Amino acid sequence: MSETATGRGWGAQDVRRELHSELLEINMGPQHPATHGVLRLLVHTDGEIVQGVTAHIGYLHRCAEKIAEGCDWRQWMVYTDRFDYLAPINMNFGYAVAVERMLGVKVPERAEHIRVICAELQRIASHLIAIGTFGLDMGAWTPLLYCFREREEILNILERISGGRMLYNYFDIGGLRYDAYEGFERDVLDFVNIMEQKIPEYDTLLSYNKIFIERTADVGVIDVATCHAYGCTGPVLRGAGVPFDCRKDDPYSIYDRFEFDIPYGEGEQGTVGDCWDRYMVRMREMYESCRIIRQAVDALPGGPVKAEELKKLVKVPQGSLYTRTESSKGEIGYHIFADGGSKPFRTKVRSPSFSNLHVIEKVGPGMMLSDLVATIGSLDIVLGEIDR
Amino acid sequence: MEATAIHALLQSRFGDAVLDYVDSFEKGSLVAAGRVGEIAAFLRDDAALGFESLMSLAGLDWDGYDTAGKGKSVDILGYDELGRPEASDRVGDGDLGVAYALYSHRHGHKHTLFVRVPRAAPQVASVAAVWATAAWHEREAWDLVGIRFAGHPDLKRILLDEEWVGHPLRKDYVMPGSWQGVPLDGRDYAACKWDEAGVTLPDDVKKPDDPQQPGNGNQG
Repeated sequence: MSETATGRGWGAQDVRRELHSELLEINMGPQHPATHGVLRLLVHTDGEIVQGVTAHIGYLHRCAEKIAEGCDWRQWMVYTDRFDYLAPINMNFGYAVAVERMLGVKVPERAEHIRVICAELQRIASHLIAIGTFGLDMGAWTPLLYCFREREEILNILERISGGRMLYNYFDIGGLRYDAYEGFERDVLDFVNIMEQKIPEYDTLLSYNKIFIERTADVGVIDVATCHAYGCTGPVLRGAGVPFDCRKDDPYSIYDRFEFDIPYGEGEQGTVGDCWDRYMVRMREMYESCRIIRQAVDALPGGPVKAEELKKLVKVPQGSLYTRTESSKGEIGYHIFADGGSKPFRTKVRSPSFSNLHVIEKVGPGMMLSDLVATIGSLDIVLGEIDR
Repeated sequence: MEATAIHALLQSRFGDAVLDYVDSFEKGSLVAAGRVGEIAAFLRDDAALGFESLMSLAGLDWDGYDTAGKGKSVDILGYDELGRPEASDRVGDGDLGVAYALYSHRHGHKHTLFVRVPRAAPQVASVAAVWATAAWHEREAWDLVGIRFAGHPDLKRILLDEEWVGHPLRKDYVMPGSWQGVPLDGRDYAACKWDEAGVTLPDDVKKPDDPQQPGNGNQG
């Protein structure tokens, strides 16, 4: 008896030859809990074995890049919020850095520090959702509730600082819209103190759970070459064993001042680049984010939070620039083409989930249907930024 | 490697196909649209260049960028006062283009490739065989800007519906008044006429948010 496509036990292909079975076409989504949003996957299966995956996206397309042509530079910030609605601060950050680089503006020190604190809080919030929903995909209900408990604290802090609970619109070109409230540092440190104690709790709940490891180790392996070819970044690339992070390797803002490590997959429970590695990268990144937040709070200076030399109506000189920053999902890039006017001529948004999802068409074939769900969960996609 | 050195290397290898050095905020090369495929393969495979990663691929409409001067690019078409899509007979005359942002993990350098194609025949060689991620990005550039990629394995719309008409990121794009029978301009749905020819939108119907319009829930 020959080996099956997955090499796991007895032969689906042999059975198929005898029964003259045919491929089954399954629609996963657009409304499906395992697709994490309005994503439709067209899956061809041979029994339990996936033979082909086609992703259909665009259900959440809101023409953000077209809208940009009609807004001025500052106004478009609010649309960047809506890309990754689980990590809007990271999306704001990328756009702000991109425009500031073209303008050559120096952002005040206080604003830079608050930006980093907010971005790292947001990264933790986003990773908590990623971890919680991934557990949910694997049939573990409880961790999600724990994750939401901690995320709630972050949302409270971000709500107090920005006024928004989910979509903040807090960053501005050249700084922040307003200063942090009194007691912000204390709130943040309180949270970090609690958070650092909670992470081991998740580890015992989920990370080293025998069933969870069985479901995720050696599943959905994405190697480095595939990552580069498909443009996978963030925890997907780091899970494949490459310690690449824009915060270190293409530094922006003031990240070069802080000490932190880049966690990467080492195949601890199985193969390098499997679902467990990607999951664990996120778990360890939360520690590193806490480290960065502590250093940023310690060094938080006083002073203004807006670059005063900037006028209300920003005009970016003619030219183009591709700027990338590290969001919680990976590399968020803004390729901005300016014609010298008060509106962006063209802004191409290169969103991390767009590329991270594309790879499912490559790695999907050959795995079990249930492993496909695990793999999608481990990619941590957000459809808002895929469809823009 | 410096961008100028990368450009010189490309020039020595591909001669006429490398048209110009682009010195903007980012540095890059303007290359011939028909030969992007082989240039891309060289950029990826050459040991000294080693661009294994295509960070982004952007489709562009350059209409109004060069000719109208600084900051005077053509305003996009929107809605008129009644909420109808603005009609226009303006036809764009600028080039279309593609910008490829490349990065080498091995060497840590960046380079941006630019391509310009005439509006009448927007055809660019596909790089999907070189960087797999380009397959989706090129579909997006076709979908939103209307650039054809020769040699693409499956060039079809990706974000918009298959039956959508036009390419929205073109500067002369006119928003349709309705799509598959659904008015897109906020007018009264019930007042539309339906027949075999499609939907007819009456001109004299007021906008639903007009307080004078009965049945709007705004009276009193």
